[in-house]
Amino acid sequence: MTPSNSIIEVRGLRKQFGGLKAVGGDTGVSFEVPRGKITGLIGPNGAGKSTTFNLISGVLKPTAGSVFYNGEPLSNKKTSEITAAGLSRTFQTPRSFPTLTVLENVVVGASSPGEWLRTALVGGWRSNEQDTLEKAQLALNTVGLAERANDEVTNLSGGELRMLEVARQLVRDPDVLLLDEPTAGVDPGLQNRLRKLLLDLHEKGTTLVVVEHNLHFLLEIAHQIVVLQNGELLAAGTPQDIKANPKVVSAYLGDEHAA
Amino acid sequence: MNIEQLILATATFGSLFAVMTVCLNIQYARGGMINFGTVAYFAVGAYTYAIFTHEPPSGLDRYVFGFDFPWYIGFLAAGIASLLFAVLTGWPTLRLRGEYLALTTFAFAEVLHSVLLNERRLGNGSVGLSNVERIDFTQFGLADKYGYALAAVLLLIATIVLCRRILASPYGRAVDAIRDDEVAAQSVGKDVQRMRFEVFLISALPIGFAGALYAMITTLVNPMLFTAEVTFFVWIALVLGGERTIKGAVLGTIALVAFEELIRNFHFESVRGAEIASSIEHMMTGVIFILVLRLQPFEKIKTWRAAQ
Amino acid sequence: MSILIAQYLVAGVVTGCFLIVATLGFSLTRQVEGFLNIAHAELLGISAFILWSLVNLAGWYFIPSAVIAVGITAVLGLFIGRVVYDPIRKFGPAVVLISSVGVAYVLGGGLDAVVGTGVRTMDIPLATSYRFFGVRITDYQMAVIAMAAVTGLSLALFMSKTTTGLTIRAMSDNPELAASRGIDVVKTSRATWLLSSGLAGLGGVSLALIATLSTDIAFQQILTIIAVAILAGLGSLYSVLIAGQVVGIAMDMSVLWLPAGYRPLIAFALVIVVLLVRPQGLSGKST
Repeated sequence: MTPSNSIIEVRGLRKQFGGLKAVGGDTGVSFEVPRGKITGLIGPNGAGKSTTFNLISGVLKPTAGSVFYNGEPLSNKKTSEITAAGLSRTFQTPRSFPTLTVLENVVVGASSPGEWLRTALVGGWRSNEQDTLEKAQLALNTVGLAERANDEVTNLSGGELRMLEVARQLVRDPDVLLLDEPTAGVDPGLQNRLRKLLLDLHEKGTTLVVVEHNLHFLLEIAHQIVVLQNGELLAAGTPQDIKANPKVVSAYLGDEHAA
Repeated sequence: MNIEQLILATATFGSLFAVMTVCLNIQYARGGMINFGTVAYFAVGAYTYAIFTHEPPSGLDRYVFGFDFPWYIGFLAAGIASLLFAVLTGWPTLRLRGEYLALTTFAFAEVLHSVLLNERRLGNGSVGLSNVERIDFTQFGLADKYGYALAAVLLLIATIVLCRRILASPYGRAVDAIRDDEVAAQSVGKDVQRMRFEVFLISALPIGFAGALYAMITTLVNPMLFTAEVTFFVWIALVLGGERTIKGAVLGTIALVAFEELIRNFHFESVRGAEIASSIEHMMTGVIFILVLRLQPFEKIKTWRAAQ
Repeated sequence: MSILIAQYLVAGVVTGCFLIVATLGFSLTRQVEGFLNIAHAELLGISAFILWSLVNLAGWYFIPSAVIAVGITAVLGLFIGRVVYDPIRKFGPAVVLISSVGVAYVLGGGLDAVVGTGVRTMDIPLATSYRFFGVRITDYQMAVIAMAAVTGLSLALFMSKTTTGLTIRAMSDNPELAASRGIDVVKTSRATWLLSSGLAGLGGVSLALIATLSTDIAFQQILTIIAVAILAGLGSLYSVLIAGQVVGIAMDMSVLWLPAGYRPLIAFALVIVVLLVRPQGLSGKST
């Protein structure tokens, strides 16, 4: 893969918490996320998935190595800059804004000129507001929450909250969407909806990175799967490669080999 | 008891202090910041007004500054000074949360109080500045006391309009989001630090103006007028009205001011009697405060209404 | 000149000893109950005035009066803790902090109503001065130092040797773990209230010995106590011993360079500096 086809590049990435080598061991982890494709990140508990995810989304700073987004290093950027550059993420436990309605929860995802104090005082944000409202309703439709627009967030189930989070990021038209264990605690029906949603996003050209515990889910949709174990890169390749990889099979797939 | 005087005092001081309560409501209920130093911005406004409009020092005066500007210059300066003081003391909001922010703001207010008390060159120390320049209301055809009541009410209305305007916009929505979940707000690109700081600053402006008006009404500024008691008074008013709404902030303040004016207007046979009444009023305020926090009547009313 | 410095140093040590006793209870409440109790300082005032009434008005001897004062304060603190604070703990430390202002109002107002304004002094024999190497120190000042030393030592022993003390420490370190290990949370909480309020009572006794009393003295102390507690940081009561001395000495020696009126400002400035530079204080542990 040539560099320009990779929207995210991880090179020699290491993260250490005190004495604990969470990611990258001694040599570091390297892999690439191809533009416009779906990449899965998987590994058993303690493999360093969450840490890697947080490193890729810019929340954590690496101990060594770097993460490049569109060719630029991520480490010296503020979170608001990173999201403005088109890199969005969801959370393992869905987060929401309880004092806002469902629709408002999505609308707030977009960046509006009305969010600058001067514009808020002087006015002139209303036209933009109308556009955003439509986009938000559209996003709610996409995730299947269309009728809940005026509902209170506290009435939503866990799975619905998860979808709400995705909708909130969708309204930003992200180039890359990072999803943190989206199928955790989700029933098979919702999982299907999620799978279809991710494939739809892929059709539209969004790059997806999905961190998962559920290999079965990834095998169905990912173009590339990166396998971690004990913070080190175990294997990276297409789902076929991964299924056939003896190291993966013995280390991880052993009990999951229902695929 | 003079009813007219009571109503007028309640209207005047109620509106004046309600300006502070509303600003506190913005900072706390919307911005999620605990400011225990509210009186400092009030004091800065009042002292700036007094200093700007006072005659230059003469004779035995110990203070150094007195610019003898007309009242509207002083008024404007008061707001700006309060804003600048908020810039100076507000940057802890960028990093501190909850009780730590409360303590820092409290400490800043006490530092200011200490400086005003000790620095004779600034505001004449513990003596303060008297004969503060007032507005001549006769040119509007009003007696002074009506004029000031009107001014206070106008300031309150202006403050409410300002706050409503900001909060009804996407800005307000973003502020609410930040208060609800900072991490999630950051994940959609909200610049948490900038917005919190801005909320802190913009809500300091009306407090400065209120300070100037207060100086005009009392005709003097003195460190004893600006103690933490004022901050706690406003906080209690905020809680009494239910911290969430502007309307509640106003009503809570007016109720508290009316209560105090009522007690003040009772005639006691002795100084001791008045002291005891004041102490009991103090105690009752504390009890009501605790009860409101404990029983959360406003939440219950809200839930009850929603269930209808 | 160096005698003068030494004199102020001694004054600072005495103030520091008072602050240690006054702040230990405050820090304890923060660590175990999880919030900053603004009303803690009012307990100091109440204890001081109970002592004053017993000695001046009832003519009792000092030591039994002090014991009664401390005892009453301890029970009062327990009462407030159970009746007022426990039910609102669930709303979070910020709400409890704000409500402790209400409690301070009630206590302060009550003290005002009962005692009245004005300055009081204790009806005890005039202080006797002693001279060591040219530095003057009174017997009351030495008593305050002794009280701090004894309190500190007893507390240290209590917290490391007795069951109650150890359970209190366990609770402050990790409440959930403590509860799951079968520690009686309610009983330990009660013990903590008694202990921290009792310490406040002792602080009031110290205050009565070295200061002139007025009903607003309590409120004046709270920011200094907060300064010591913040400087000490969470997680350790030992650092309160150091922080108390630092603040006390800093405050009293500041008169060498600053006008006396600025003495309290040292405490406020310290709060700001510590919170901005190193919020965890000396002990280094964060929430």
